[in-house]
Amino acid sequence: MKHLVSAVLLLWGCLQLAHGASNRIFVTNERSNDISIINGASLEVEKTIAVGNRPRGIGISPDGAELYVAISEDNAIAVVSLETLELLRTFEAGSDPETFAVHPNGNIYISNEDDAKASVFDPVTGRQLAEIPVGLEPEGVAISPDGKQVIITSESTNMLHVIRVPEHDIVANILVGARPRAAVFNNSGALAYSTSEISGEVKKIDMEKHAIVATKKIADEKAKPKDVLLSKDESKLYVAGGRANQIIVLKADTLELLKKVPVGKRVWGLAMSKDGKRVFTTNGVSGTVSVIATENDQVIKTIEVGKFPWGVVIDD
Amino acid sequence: MVKTFWATALTLPLFLGAAGAGAETALRLAFIGAEADSAYNGVLQGVKEANLQGRFLGWNYSLSRFAATELEGLDPSPFMALIVAADAETLRQAGHRFPGRAVLNVGAGDDALRRACSQNLLHVIPSDRMLEDAKGQWRQKSPGAEIRASGWHPDFVKFAARDLNKRFKKAFSQPMDQRAWAGWAAVKMVSDSIARKNLRDPAALLRHLKTDLSFDGQKGLDLNFRDTGQLRQLILIASAAGELLGEAPVKGVARLDDVDSLGRPSCKP
Repeated sequence: MKHLVSAVLLLWGCLQLAHGASNRIFVTNERSNDISIINGASLEVEKTIAVGNRPRGIGISPDGAELYVAISEDNAIAVVSLETLELLRTFEAGSDPETFAVHPNGNIYISNEDDAKASVFDPVTGRQLAEIPVGLEPEGVAISPDGKQVIITSESTNMLHVIRVPEHDIVANILVGARPRAAVFNNSGALAYSTSEISGEVKKIDMEKHAIVATKKIADEKAKPKDVLLSKDESKLYVAGGRANQIIVLKADTLELLKKVPVGKRVWGLAMSKDGKRVFTTNGVSGTVSVIATENDQVIKTIEVGKFPWGVVIDD
Repeated sequence: MVKTFWATALTLPLFLGAAGAGAETALRLAFIGAEADSAYNGVLQGVKEANLQGRFLGWNYSLSRFAATELEGLDPSPFMALIVAADAETLRQAGHRFPGRAVLNVGAGDDALRRACSQNLLHVIPSDRMLEDAKGQWRQKSPGAEIRASGWHPDFVKFAARDLNKRFKKAFSQPMDQRAWAGWAAVKMVSDSIARKNLRDPAALLRHLKTDLSFDGQKGLDLNFRDTGQLRQLILIASAAGELLGEAPVKGVARLDDVDSLGRPSCKP
């Protein structure tokens, strides 16, 4: 028994070595066609790598071994080793892949903006597993933590399309405010939150009834809400305010405004560390990433990255 | 007489999507204008996109086209709204012939039509004065520039304009111009409103469009109508050679979101 425990511990240790989290932050720069790699301890850019044209959506495999980058103008996903930071392969991912999310089973769900469809790929083989027709200009992709539900937002059709996994059929189409951009599930998958850029709204959705249960109109006229994140304890919602140049912090329960955190210009992308202590924002026009401490929701550092930073993900 | 209209009317084939939700509700729109008008292509694109949304909601739009000369005997009762790409006189007639129904102007810039503050004329295309004011603002910033102003430009990329321009070009092998944009926008605002409010009554649709519209015209703002019936919107500035230069309201001259700095802001003196 003792030997078995030791063997398991040893194996676990090896796995950790193989795919140990690097605590790096990866940022896609849409216009400089590269990725800024930020050291999570020093919060300095330690390396910049090029993987393809117009990198936007970004994600990490569930085992922490690979980084995926949507290279929109190449109509492909680039796969980078998180260990060596070398480009391993690329695979074709339909027309104009923009945003995607990685399913707990490892598959990638992509919105193909030009084609009014969502597609599912196995990033190991590069094979397309499914294609789901959705509304026009599909954008945001959210996957419930249990992997059973996927939301695709269609910007021009103004809908959240709720897709069942593994069936890959649409079970609900929820009309929301104009130009829905992003969505996020809560931990149980019973609730979701979505942002609408043109109507300037955040909505809270009951995912069992597929009904909108609360709406918050952001008072700032310049606020064009984009990415959205839920705090680890599910009490706060972080909304990227676009041209309002701030993060809008809402009470997740009531959508009541808690705080506005000034960051850089045209803030779009958001990522939260696994421990819930830090939020990273991509400020497109400023070419910076802001680091927010969630304890008091204050910016603790602003980091210069490439041109038009878009997406951000943390290897932690 | 009426029979002739039906004979010449073009009805689009039904578009049935994979995710259709049972019985379809049929909704009809009328277009009055020439088949060769780019506004008509814009309307066709709008109907195609409305039906893409409709397949998720269980309804279907069809479009009937009539020449301006057919207006006199036209029975408005089957139509939720009418879209007109014609001269000012035809628009006035259409407004009178279809009281209680939205008549969406996608072709005439005449300021007199806006000054009339009609009950049911809604001007999706910018007024001539809006275009003049846009040029005036641009010249304040760049004096002496020879420029053109328009409600749309095929090279406009911001606010997902790029996506709309790409879709239109792919469908019709021609660049989207101001009339095509207005035609597309007219259908989109109608179908968006019907979807949001579940409207089936043309008079309710007209009321909603006039007072409660919130519409994404791929121009970055939430668009709605002035009490003159004119749609508030950005204007695009191009060089005399047609190269896109920028947008009005012009930064540094007017507030960027002050679209009422372009054209007559209200019916009130």
